[in-house]
Amino acid sequence: MSGYYSGIIILTCINLLAVLGLSLLTGFTGSFCFGQAGFMAVGAYVSTLLTMNYAAPFPLALFAGGLAGLLVSIPLGYPTLRLKGDYFAIATLGFAEAMRLIIENLEKITGGSRGIPGIPTHTNLPLILVVTFFFVWLVRNYVSSRHGRNCVAVREDELAAEAIAVDTFRYKQISFAINGFLGGLSGAFLAHYVGFIQPSMFGIPQSTQLIVMVIFGGMHSITGAVLAAIILTALPEVLRAADAWRLVAYGAVVVLIMIIRPEGLLGSWELSKDSLQDLWSKLQARLNQYKEQRLAKAKE
Amino acid sequence: MILQQLVNGISIGAVYALIAVGYSLVYSVLNFSNFAHGEILMLGSYVGFFALTQLNVPFVLSIALAMIGAGVIAILMEKIGYRALRLRQAPLLYFMISAMGLSIFLQNFTIVTIGPNFRTYPDVLPTQPFTLGNLSIGRIDLLIFAITVISLAMLTWLIYRTKLGSAIRAASYNMNVASLMGINPDLIVMIVFALAGSTAGIGGVLFGMKYTVYPWMGALTIKAFIAAVVGGLGSLPGAVLGAFVLGITETFAAAFVSSEFRDLFAYTLMITIIVLRPAGLLGTLTQEKA
Amino acid sequence: MFKKLMLSAVILATILAFSGCQQQAEEDTIKIGFFGALSGDQAVWGQADRDGLTLTVEQINEAGGIMGKQVELITYDDKGDQLEAVNVVKRLINEDKVSAIIGCNSSGRNIAVAPVVEEGKVPIISTFATNPRVTVPEEGKLMQYTFRVCFIDPYSGDVTAQFAWNDLEATKAAVLYEISSDYSVGVRDFFTQAWEELGGEIVADEAFKTGDVDFRAQLTTIKEAEPDVIVMPFLYKEVALAAKQARDLGITATMLGGDGWPSTALLEMAADAVEGSYFINHADVDAPHVQEWRDQYQERFGKDIEINAIMSHDAMLMVKAAIEESGSTDPEVIRDALENLTGVEGFSGTINIDPETHNPAGKAAVIIEIKDGKFQFFKQFEPMN
Repeated sequence: MSGYYSGIIILTCINLLAVLGLSLLTGFTGSFCFGQAGFMAVGAYVSTLLTMNYAAPFPLALFAGGLAGLLVSIPLGYPTLRLKGDYFAIATLGFAEAMRLIIENLEKITGGSRGIPGIPTHTNLPLILVVTFFFVWLVRNYVSSRHGRNCVAVREDELAAEAIAVDTFRYKQISFAINGFLGGLSGAFLAHYVGFIQPSMFGIPQSTQLIVMVIFGGMHSITGAVLAAIILTALPEVLRAADAWRLVAYGAVVVLIMIIRPEGLLGSWELSKDSLQDLWSKLQARLNQYKEQRLAKAKE
Repeated sequence: MILQQLVNGISIGAVYALIAVGYSLVYSVLNFSNFAHGEILMLGSYVGFFALTQLNVPFVLSIALAMIGAGVIAILMEKIGYRALRLRQAPLLYFMISAMGLSIFLQNFTIVTIGPNFRTYPDVLPTQPFTLGNLSIGRIDLLIFAITVISLAMLTWLIYRTKLGSAIRAASYNMNVASLMGINPDLIVMIVFALAGSTAGIGGVLFGMKYTVYPWMGALTIKAFIAAVVGGLGSLPGAVLGAFVLGITETFAAAFVSSEFRDLFAYTLMITIIVLRPAGLLGTLTQEKA
Repeated sequence: MFKKLMLSAVILATILAFSGCQQQAEEDTIKIGFFGALSGDQAVWGQADRDGLTLTVEQINEAGGIMGKQVELITYDDKGDQLEAVNVVKRLINEDKVSAIIGCNSSGRNIAVAPVVEEGKVPIISTFATNPRVTVPEEGKLMQYTFRVCFIDPYSGDVTAQFAWNDLEATKAAVLYEISSDYSVGVRDFFTQAWEELGGEIVADEAFKTGDVDFRAQLTTIKEAEPDVIVMPFLYKEVALAAKQARDLGITATMLGGDGWPSTALLEMAADAVEGSYFINHADVDAPHVQEWRDQYQERFGKDIEINAIMSHDAMLMVKAAIEESGSTDPEVIRDALENLTGVEGFSGTINIDPETHNPAGKAAVIIEIKDGKFQFFKQFEPMN
């Protein structure tokens, strides 16, 4: 497989990991996080500093990146998760920007606004595919478990959830922490794929892109998030010829989705044994219907 | 030097104020942050620019045209991007996403059609700044300050002293009940957007004169946003106060701490306010937060 | 119905993406890749880079091509973004399979893509990237596949310092630079070093971030320090804004700049403010030997030339010479030829590549003065060593 195509798949997986966390936090738990790029930045820089300054083995650096994201989410979540929807969104936005600016100012360590070039490109296709599959499976199971249902309860009606003894704050914290971990992991992979990082790679446009992927695929569906990551990473490459217009189209598509089908492509549909069986029986019913129609016509 | 930096801070604060006011107005009625507000400013600026350079109209007329143009664009934006969501009572997140989509669309549409080059407003005012001893105050800054104050005064008068204003305020408290009282919500929303758009239009022209006109001008929205949050989301005087506080803090941070810290200070300020006093300096908390 | 339509469009696009629309390789053409900022605020230069290259390629093809084969130019827009640059360069190497790449004008982006071409083994010639780290990222290490056609920042920092010290007889300098730009920080470092070696004093050292439009805070601090000259090594757009604001604040010191200044847009935006300033350039677009080509450029593209076009023209001449000397279009062979290239006569001077640094040795710099609202040749500086 040519380097170009495997590169696209790697990028898709990187986006997917970040989107996975967001899907859990924003889609299932209902906390609008506009600062995912901040977690990615943390993961990217921590893992890079480990591999470049301490010759750490890549898997360790990856884990450290994810861990860093998780650890950051704890003090951040404490004051902000209590806030209402839009305030939380604003706070996470502010956090991501502040993170970027702090990185820019710690020049001695992080190379400042010019970033760190020459990062060893450890990210390879098999590794990231395995890791991605693992976490998709993990999150999928979390979501379909009792915990997942509690998250949905928090999203739908916090007061009611509290009333049935669901610790809403703790669930939000857990989702936030998982999101932080996945974001950091994604950032670590990104750093070692592109080979360099700089703060401008982790700004508001990047956070926005990730949210758009979550919405596009369907906020209430992990499968949707996967699909969206695939389509929205590959699509810009396909449309490369159209270039400047492609961003125009992108913006228009985003607005259109919101207006026409805000549930996203898949809404709440999840890929599972049940849903596949469901689809199959629907298909069979259609086929039978078609057969009967043909028979009826033949009789005339 | 402190005095000069204060002047610098106030001059940029005034620019922020013009944008923050329109932004806050929309927020107070519709309860959402219009991230595409900066693009209205940008388009208004281009309208004014082309009016001045292609149509050769006098300066005052170009501002008027920019106001009208931006107002119309704002109304269109509402109709296309937000109306369907509002009627469906969609959650806040959808509005924000739609706003971001609009922002990306308009920015890049401008880049592709009008071009990415920077345009400079022709010098309408004499370029010599006023000097008071060691202080330098640009004429454009005085103009911006004056127009900001006037716009704010007019807006305040409109909102607190006219029937239309009462209607707007009623709608901002509770759209449903207000509509029961015979207020047409669609009309109110349209008017609010038109007002916000007009202030953005003026802001665009003034900003374009002070700096230049380019498709990314909308990036200023985030500063307006911070200003509005600091002053109190939903409060108009708060937006203005927040804008000046932001402008002065930023400038002093850049001058006396480090020029790289400018933006960091702005965000830190915002986060501090959100955590310590979420209502902002002048806002009032009308909803429970937990 | 509409929803279904949109859905099928999306699915179709996805299929297209994964089936890949690869062009059939034509054996009779030599493929040269180009990337640059064709959109965004560096578009003026990226487009000039591309247009100069396009005109050069067209002229080469009209004269029979290189070794009898026509040259095919493949261009991509990197939007001024480093990530995008990495992306498009990968595409040029893996998908379009070019023999050589020309581009771009930014040190930051060339530093980012250097490892990519190193891995992909395709030589790249930067037109305008002046930071030394582009070819020599650190002491003792050389990027085998990266070359450039312009002089480097240590030299322009040196020239600026000498010019200010000797010609302008200044002793106190202030610096305003862009902290997020490898180029700007590099020039500032080298200027400071050279200046202090000459015995000059740096009275103010202020920075700003990309995207800033208001420099009054920094300029006020600079004004307090009462410098003789202010060195502003960044790009024309910010230069225009900063210069205007400086004059607004009543600063009268002479402003000095580097090769980020030259652009007709600078004069459009701030002619009054930059009157009486000087900046360093790679060549003089008004030099007599450039005029004929300049007219051809004007005729072909309907706009006046920018310095970038000259640099990309010279870069293409380098590629042509390398191919002709080595007799091959294989990227690795071209690379070897480039390393030892000598005697290429470009518009910016004679190009001799130094095998130890992949930089052109002996390139002169010109000092341009902005007088009467126009760029005017002031002085030429001796070649760098």
